[in-house]
Amino acid sequence: MSAPTTLVRPPVAPEGQLPAPPEAVVPRRPPGRAWRRALRRDWQLYSLAVLPLLFFLIFRYLPMVGNVIAFRQYEPGGSIFGEQWVGLQYVQLFLHDPTFWHVFSNTLILGAATLVFTFPLPIILALLLNEVRASAFKRFVQSVSYLPHFLSIVVVAAIVMQFVAVDGSLNQILKAIGVQPIPFLQEPQWFRPIYVASEAWQNVGWGTILYLAALTTIDPSLYEAAAIDGANRWQQTWHVTLPGLLPTMITLLILNIGTFMNVGFEKILLLYNPLTYSTADVITTYLYRLGVVSNDFSYAAAIGLFEGLIGLLLVGSANLIARRTVGTSLW
Amino acid sequence: MYRMTRRELLVAGGMAALALAGCSTGGGSSRGQAPYSGNRYGAMNNYGPGVQFRATKPLTFSMMYDNNPGYPYNKGWLFWSELTKRTNVTLDPVIANLSDYNTKVSLLIGAGQAPVIIPKIYHPQEVPFIASGAILPVSDYTGLMPNYTRTITEWNLQPDIDTLRQADGKYYLLPGLHQQLWVDYTLAMRYDILAKLNLPSSWPELYGQKVPPTWSDVYDVLKAMKSYTNSYPLSDRWSIPTPGGNLLNILGTAYGAPGGWGYQNATWDYSAKKYVFTGTMNQWKQMLQFLNRLVMEGLLDPESFTQSDQQAIEKFGAGKSLVISTNAQTIVNDYRPAIKGIPGATVHKIPVPIGPMGPVNQGSRLENGIMILSKARNTSDFVAMMQFIDWLWYSPEGKVFAKWGIEGVTYTGSVDKGTFKLEPDIDWGGLNPGAPKNLQVAYGFFNGIFAYGGSTKLLDTQFPPEELAFQKVMNKRRTLPLPPPAPLTTAERQEAQLWETNLQDYVTTQSLRFILGKRSFSEWGEYVNELKQRNMTQYMDLITNAYERFKAHHG
Amino acid sequence: MELSGGRPWEPRPGRAYRVFQIVNVVILCGVVLVTLYPFANIVARSFSSETYIASGQVNLIPRGFNLTTYKAVLSDPTFWTNYRNTVVYTAVATFISMTLTTSYAYVLSKKHLRGRNFLIGIAVFTMFFSGGLIPNYVLINTLGMRNTMWALVVPNAISAFNLLVMKAFFESLPPELEEAAAVDGVDTYRILLRIVLPLSKAVVATMTLFYAVSFWNSWFSAFLYMDRPNLFPVTLYLRNLIAGATSGSETGAAMGYLPQINANIQSVTIILTILPIVLVYPFIQRYFISGVRLGAVKG
Repeated sequence: MSAPTTLVRPPVAPEGQLPAPPEAVVPRRPPGRAWRRALRRDWQLYSLAVLPLLFFLIFRYLPMVGNVIAFRQYEPGGSIFGEQWVGLQYVQLFLHDPTFWHVFSNTLILGAATLVFTFPLPIILALLLNEVRASAFKRFVQSVSYLPHFLSIVVVAAIVMQFVAVDGSLNQILKAIGVQPIPFLQEPQWFRPIYVASEAWQNVGWGTILYLAALTTIDPSLYEAAAIDGANRWQQTWHVTLPGLLPTMITLLILNIGTFMNVGFEKILLLYNPLTYSTADVITTYLYRLGVVSNDFSYAAAIGLFEGLIGLLLVGSANLIARRTVGTSLW
Repeated sequence: MYRMTRRELLVAGGMAALALAGCSTGGGSSRGQAPYSGNRYGAMNNYGPGVQFRATKPLTFSMMYDNNPGYPYNKGWLFWSELTKRTNVTLDPVIANLSDYNTKVSLLIGAGQAPVIIPKIYHPQEVPFIASGAILPVSDYTGLMPNYTRTITEWNLQPDIDTLRQADGKYYLLPGLHQQLWVDYTLAMRYDILAKLNLPSSWPELYGQKVPPTWSDVYDVLKAMKSYTNSYPLSDRWSIPTPGGNLLNILGTAYGAPGGWGYQNATWDYSAKKYVFTGTMNQWKQMLQFLNRLVMEGLLDPESFTQSDQQAIEKFGAGKSLVISTNAQTIVNDYRPAIKGIPGATVHKIPVPIGPMGPVNQGSRLENGIMILSKARNTSDFVAMMQFIDWLWYSPEGKVFAKWGIEGVTYTGSVDKGTFKLEPDIDWGGLNPGAPKNLQVAYGFFNGIFAYGGSTKLLDTQFPPEELAFQKVMNKRRTLPLPPPAPLTTAERQEAQLWETNLQDYVTTQSLRFILGKRSFSEWGEYVNELKQRNMTQYMDLITNAYERFKAHHG
Repeated sequence: MELSGGRPWEPRPGRAYRVFQIVNVVILCGVVLVTLYPFANIVARSFSSETYIASGQVNLIPRGFNLTTYKAVLSDPTFWTNYRNTVVYTAVATFISMTLTTSYAYVLSKKHLRGRNFLIGIAVFTMFFSGGLIPNYVLINTLGMRNTMWALVVPNAISAFNLLVMKAFFESLPPELEEAAAVDGVDTYRILLRIVLPLSKAVVATMTLFYAVSFWNSWFSAFLYMDRPNLFPVTLYLRNLIAGATSGSETGAAMGYLPQINANIQSVTIILTILPIVLVYPFIQRYFISGVRLGAVKG
């Protein structure tokens, strides 16, 4: 929400809609009537929503029926709805598997670490770019910074492996300052930092685009007003820019909290090895090794539902907290 | 020396006889009403070995096509037109890229949209589709395939076929068949460095150079090579996703406990005649100790087990490492180009080093194979289809055709007489280097879908002289008999699935730690206990039970 | 000169700020180096010969300059067919996605709308639950969309993520303009098209970019629903090339497949895929870098 401006027109009451006289008691209307009123008033808005809703219904919700195989035994090649009811059999399979909980906690930790470190970076970079006076330099930096986003995961993994190899650049630097070379990819305690760093490197530049777009929507007169009030650049940033970015930030934060368990399957698969399973193994890679992904669709569906539930819970809580504390939220 | 007991010989012979007669365990035979009476449309009545299959009516079969980017699918290939001319059959391909072939197969079968013939399936990829009845128990229908059954008898492939059998005694994949085990993977060494070393005269020779015959000789060579590099003489590849995929496989086989690509949680112990858990075998421990010694003495690069192929090749190309895992293709494609910058450098295979097991080859002579959808059984041209598959994939004439094409057009001479020669303007695999046309790209022959397997004579025609020399040495070795089948039921498999992966993961992780010196061998007893806590005993009981059950019911 | 978040009037920059400016430039240069270096390496590789690549000697400059792999790829007519496919698919998909997403986001941004939370929930729910490979396949097949462009362009039309971000942008627009228009009797459609969208150039450009890039890079839907190579997008084609180079599964099969191609097919692929994006990007960048000003609230 934009900060209150000093140049605001007094609200002009549209004709025919005078504020209700205080003594009038608004009678309780039956909900059917309220709906009809809403439809009459906003039918154009509702009409805009028809096609998207159709899309969601056909292409998103209809296939969801297939998730019933989480509770029915599915045999590849048999009925797509499974052969018979087995209730919570698959759910219990993974709930009772100690390795599952271990990889579950790995997923949480890795996702949370990624979120904590990669969420603020695009914002900071956008703000830094914002302070650049020379437009050409600013555009150049921005055009280059997003390039890593386009590298395929295989290539990024190869770059990372090259960088942290025993004779790679990182160890060369360490050697120069007198530290023994470390086989980073063979030590479980290094996996998380390496993964998070590679995620940051790959996605920071691309992430700034949205924030830069948000920056353009901040009313410049707010800066004028702040400057008139004697604010220096830092105070301007704190009191004008950041609040202007707040809706975007909160939206992205809530969405990212909801999806933070979607850690990169392919990248981990390429970077991990049995020596680092203890920290690197996540739900998706574990399932992959189990052969679940290719063979056991029921099991995979059960886990999918489990993860979906958690995501929904996370997004709901994040939204609630945001609404109570900051005032902006998704709904 | 493993000798089949009389009983096993009888059983093998009996099974071969059964297979030949075309009876399945419990299947019907020609008694009274002829089977397949509604399925003989287009079929030949006098089809047999030596007979060119030709459908009596033009037929079309849908087939899954694995599109290899090296020779992308081309409707106009001579292969297709000649095939239709000879057999009166047109194949209708459903194209899936090489990169994601298996996922597509799984998807199409799951959605009920799969074509009837599905080739390029490696055992046990067919297993998930069995429980739903989506694919045919082909073992019941081998009576329709005379070339297939004759090949199995001639080349004594029954034990190999038995490894495909499921708990119900049937198998669901028509495998590719090799007459002899095809050994391709081994170590490659810098022969120019070997030439500089002082090697014992008792050693065998290959490519005019003495080569280390055993693993302990390899150790000596690595030690001597250390003075020719300032890094590790052996830095290996093929470690993603299976660490030491090749190294642990050939080394483990030499000890009797295959690892890497060949790893199974349960290994057949030939002397004890039972299944034992691989990760706790004495032979496994010895292998780990051997590798540990290599690492501790700076002969084996610790990164071998986690680095990418690209990194390993770069080290070899820069002259940092002098020994690396290889197969025939990668020497030509990867290593020779990589060392071009090093003056005088040459690289060749060495024969697979020998260990305590003696000079043995281990593996299955089966190749990737064909699944057939169950719904084909009720089509009117089912018999014709089986005959067609039999001719194209299993008859000697069909195999030569699929591999090399048409005599007088793409090649001259005869494979059997040893006079085979590819036409000079056509190249494949470096046989006619510099020739303008490529056999696969221009004509569609030697397609990986149709051309795998065959007699040793046929296989030898594809090797340049260098590879032939290697094959000659390896073929002299004894091939270990295959472990007996121990198939699990669907219910057991679900139970075992979690155990298997967890056990394998744990063995791999701890083995690496032992090799790299992160864990001392004095903790071996603890390690065994940790495995017991992970259901090792229960898993082995399951396997042993499955083995005995199969033995009891199916001999 | 307008700068985004422009400050036409500012106090004289103090010492601290000047230091910050220098540090800022240093940091940004660091960012450029760290992101550009691997690319320079990839460009160099795509033009280098396999011997130098395989022995790890290629850094920032091509060594053993040759165009073999480029020629091999660019001379394949299937490559161009597939490239054309990608352009068409991306254009159509982006158009459909932007239409659906923008209209729905606009609807969701109206706080007074009855049932709004329910409509938002419908979108949010789809972020966490989906049908799975086979049900989707059966659906597309039943609708007869297999082996057609529609299988690629429709099923992923709305990204809940993009939708919700757009909604946030719409919500932050000052309501006075729309209210004034509503008073003047302008209908919703025209308000959206004539007033709201021109004010939202930044977010529209950004979302168009996001959608376009994601469709440009996508291969999975094509892999699932298409079996005819001449319909593939170029990403599938290139993906298969790489698999052929790196799998080495067919002994000897790679003779149509020189070691040179093996060595740098991945680098060439990246360059070919990213080149159009790099060329087009500056045209979109001006919408959110040089600061399209939100129209002032007119008195």
